[in-house]
Amino acid sequence: MAVYIFKRILGLMVVIFLVLTIAFVIVRLAPGDPAALMLGPEASAEDAALLRTQLGLDRPILVQYLTFVFNAVQGDLGNSIFFNQPVTQVLLGRAEPTIFLSLFSLLIALVIATPVGIYAAYRRGSWLDQGAISTAMLAASIPSFWTGLMFQRYLATELGWFPASGYGGPDAGFWVRMGHLALPSIVLGIVNSALIIRFTRASMLDILGEDYIRTARSKGMGERRVILRHALKNAAIPIITVVGLTFALLVSGAVVTERVFNIPGMGNLIVSAVLRRDYPVIQGTLIVVATLYVLINLATDLLYLLVDKRVKY
Amino acid sequence: MKLLPNNTRPALLALLASAALAVPATAQTKLDIAIVGEADTFDPMMSTKDVVSIVTQHFVETLYTFDENWGVAPLLATELPTISDDGLTYTIGIREGITFHDGSTMDSADVVASLERWKTQSPRGKGVADKIASITATGPFEVTIQMSTPYSPLLSLLAFSNSAAAVYPSEILAETIENVVGTGPYMIAEHVPDQYLQLKRFDAYVSRSEPSSGGAGARKQLADEIRFIPVPDPNTRVEGLLSGQFDFADGLPSESFARIEASDVADPMLLRPFGWPIFAINHKAGLLTDLKTRQALQAALPIDDMLFAAFGDDNFFVVDGPMYPEGWTWRNDAGVDKYNQNDQAKAADLLKETGYDGTPLRILTSRQYEFHFKMAEVAKVALEAAGFAVEMNVVDWATLGQQRNDPALWDIYITHSPFLPEPALTDLYTSSSRLGWAEPEKDAIVAQFTVETDQAKRQELFAQLQQKLYDDVGFIKIGGFNALNGIRQGLTGVTATPWPFFWNASK
Repeated sequence: MAVYIFKRILGLMVVIFLVLTIAFVIVRLAPGDPAALMLGPEASAEDAALLRTQLGLDRPILVQYLTFVFNAVQGDLGNSIFFNQPVTQVLLGRAEPTIFLSLFSLLIALVIATPVGIYAAYRRGSWLDQGAISTAMLAASIPSFWTGLMFQRYLATELGWFPASGYGGPDAGFWVRMGHLALPSIVLGIVNSALIIRFTRASMLDILGEDYIRTARSKGMGERRVILRHALKNAAIPIITVVGLTFALLVSGAVVTERVFNIPGMGNLIVSAVLRRDYPVIQGTLIVVATLYVLINLATDLLYLLVDKRVKY
Repeated sequence: MKLLPNNTRPALLALLASAALAVPATAQTKLDIAIVGEADTFDPMMSTKDVVSIVTQHFVETLYTFDENWGVAPLLATELPTISDDGLTYTIGIREGITFHDGSTMDSADVVASLERWKTQSPRGKGVADKIASITATGPFEVTIQMSTPYSPLLSLLAFSNSAAAVYPSEILAETIENVVGTGPYMIAEHVPDQYLQLKRFDAYVSRSEPSSGGAGARKQLADEIRFIPVPDPNTRVEGLLSGQFDFADGLPSESFARIEASDVADPMLLRPFGWPIFAINHKAGLLTDLKTRQALQAALPIDDMLFAAFGDDNFFVVDGPMYPEGWTWRNDAGVDKYNQNDQAKAADLLKETGYDGTPLRILTSRQYEFHFKMAEVAKVALEAAGFAVEMNVVDWATLGQQRNDPALWDIYITHSPFLPEPALTDLYTSSSRLGWAEPEKDAIVAQFTVETDQAKRQELFAQLQQKLYDDVGFIKIGGFNALNGIRQGLTGVTATPWPFFWNASK
């Protein structure tokens, strides 16, 4: 297994290098001038050119790229053009809301999806199954921004049950900040539960048709035990896969939801960085996101070992 | 159904908390202000962005400011300057006993050093640098600006919070100021990027004694704290305002007006008029370097339809040709008969006279401001009806900001501006702007306008300039539009202005 992990980490290095290069090229291919944006509408082209020089953006692209790679391998992702802070510091500032938002959303999604998916499979063809599948399809079809807007308007503004947006002010303690994540977590939880419901149901349906389930039942084992002990455990691998992918996507930044609720996380940061043409932040965010994505996938693969002893690496 | 009205919840919580603690407490007034985005810099000298002006005017001050009628009024200066008869020498008295946030005392050396930096580094300051011969301290609290040529907009420039002639302690002045230190009524307490900028009352602030009037007069520091919260999504600003999260929300969508008006938490605050959308014309290269083609463009545009499409509600726009709205000293009717012609047949005739070969008219616009795009869509239909081939180049704002600096890439780009207190504060009229509108008679008027010191004569010159604008189609003012802000019910002391301030606000 150590060899497997080592190979995966080597693969991770390659992925990061590719992401690093692609990110560098893409952001520079996109038109738009960070200097002109920073100086505002009345600034002249000469002012913008001067600022570009100060920011080092007038150097040859190859020089910029090599400097970027050289610094990146030493853990220095450069300085944000907009914030005038190290990119690592900017990213660290976004870690807390994104991590907790992802965890809460995933938790809510699992709390909804696992029982619903199992029950839908167990009662295949019943109105409960049909209802669960239809609701899941509906949840997956409605864009998260619409769900976010509706929840924000009715649950936060009209009913006052949740903060409408943001992440708390200067005096906000940990729990106040977490309170600000409640509504976006519910939105993301509902949206992401749809896929997990479908995977859980499909996976459980496959397993429930297996001989050993019939054998377990014929031996007089209780239904709860058959479902939770035998069926769910064997159905877990596809479910873990989709949960892992969902978590990776959430950690990468729930762009739309963070924007709607003004959560200062990775998703919001990357949108703002693109609009501001803050090249180092775009590059840094992409590298971090790619790394997290690969690491979460690795963790997911390793999790297979725990749930299925037949899996070998 | 609301369990509790939003505006009663904080009060109820406060009541419960105070009952539980059973000790007297001093209430801290904190204002939460939702702004359209993060300020790129806290050094207003270096940016012409409105959001930078809005935020920084609370902690950085200038020698002069504008009163409620957009007249120049003293702020850090003792009074309006003494100007020599030839208009070349400005003697400015500086207020004594003014303290910077770092505890140092302001004197003429700080003012001179700050103005020197403004002259050499600020986008607006550089525009006037060649007209300033010297800036010298002629006393511990007196500064003299010697001009090489008279320049009447100087005081407006010194008063403007945008690319501001801000006064800093000379010790912190550098190409980039790391920690901005000003003299304003509030000082920076904490900044968490993309979350909030927390300002606290500056206890050593010495307010002016005159009654408050616009930015002039007394700055009362009524709130203990002001927090500027960047909220880029306009709908999120609306929801935050209506849920009671924000005391003030800047730049709200016009569609939210009715909802805010019906709310029992907040009220709409209309800035009427806020500004004017502009079709900026490329005079350096391309199709519109030809006057007749520009006149065809001018004739074809259905201004009222464009404004209606853009804003959708009469509350939010006005079809108005003069360059300044009703009530402003600069308002005049010269040339406005050419405004809003909506005559595609005339445009077609003019176009025929030019021998137009079907080269596409390139309109560079963005959906960053949806009303820009909507105006462009309507204009496109009218221009095509007149015989123009139109190519819409819809890009994001960053791209537009870059591409408009290259005359080879566009014929028209769409932008907007607030109504500025002094026409010379916009460079659109000058031949050195990115539009490159150069015309000998117009340039002579502009030159005379900037050196003339007599206000009546300046108004007459501006009327001539407006006439030239319409005759030569320098650029096209589409109309006037209003801006919508939202304010919590019970919050007083906030006036509608393009650059709202909160030092006199209380709730």
